[in-house]
Amino acid sequence: MAAVVATGADAFFGYFGVSAALVFANVGAAYGTARSGIGIGAISILKPELIMRSIVPVVMAGILGIYGMIVSVILCQKITYDNYSRYTGISHLTAGLCCGLSSLASGYAIGIVGDYGVRANSQQPRIFVGMILMLIFAEAIGLYGLIVSLILSSS
Amino acid sequence: MADMGANVANWSDLFYGIYPYSWANLGIAFALGFSIVGAAWGIFVTGTSLVGAAVKAPRIKSKNLVSIIFCEAVAIYGVIIAIILSGKMKNPGQLQAADYDKALFAGFAVFWTGISVGLSNLVCGVCVGVTGAGCALADAQTPSTFVKLLVIEIFGSALGLFGVIVGIIQAGGASNFPVANA
Repeated sequence: MAAVVATGADAFFGYFGVSAALVFANVGAAYGTARSGIGIGAISILKPELIMRSIVPVVMAGILGIYGMIVSVILCQKITYDNYSRYTGISHLTAGLCCGLSSLASGYAIGIVGDYGVRANSQQPRIFVGMILMLIFAEAIGLYGLIVSLILSSS
Repeated sequence: MADMGANVANWSDLFYGIYPYSWANLGIAFALGFSIVGAAWGIFVTGTSLVGAAVKAPRIKSKNLVSIIFCEAVAIYGVIIAIILSGKMKNPGQLQAADYDKALFAGFAVFWTGISVGLSNLVCGVCVGVTGAGCALADAQTPSTFVKLLVIEIFGSALGLFGVIVGIIQAGGASNFPVANA
């Protein structure tokens, strides 16, 4: 077996975690933004006064991108050449995947709920509060991923 | 390091045996390539809806070019990061054994920076394109909605900016490359 100095190769996993957190969270945020944006574009034709209320799902999807960025930056500061081991690298990969994949799923939920929610809200204004509650639950699952990844990255 | 690949016995040896600068250059290619793919995807998604809606409402075509420009900005982010990353690499001449591990660390940093930036810009471009298409169609029917729907596109293009910010921080690991000694 070749004499392997672990540090250089272990950066692969650490930086993989950084990228995974950011990229997957951005995929979720992009899907949420675009899908809700389609719904908002559809309702804006006949009910332009509802646009500003209906931007809520877009903002919530954008927050998921910020979750991914937070975890990426935190992990980036911890990846240094000195004092890095295979154990640390894999745990950073796990932290990144936790945040990224949960934000991805949350973004999908926010996008689909936002799309149908704003369309329904344009026809029945009393639906607005219910739509907001559903979006909050969808955002919470992304927050769970952020919390777990912060715990993993600090241990 | 002529025989770095000769004793490959497990996965870590495989990662270890690939020349570090090839990882780094692959990252630069991904940063640029995926960003351009995202920008192009967004442009054609917006462009088709724009020209389709402009058949009956030709007044929208100049204003909605802003959506196309938002997609183009995504490509510019990729170019900026690719140029920054390539500036961090210097030709080491003959890579010394003592520098190999640090060069590998830096090579992985640049590779994953390229993936971060490239794939973030890819999805950002698609998002901005889809939203821009909706904006063009709505603007054709109700002109007062254009500016408000543009707000959604601005939220979308923020995703590309997140990629650039993280990319610049992540590329800090590239300072471990050995200085040119050739």
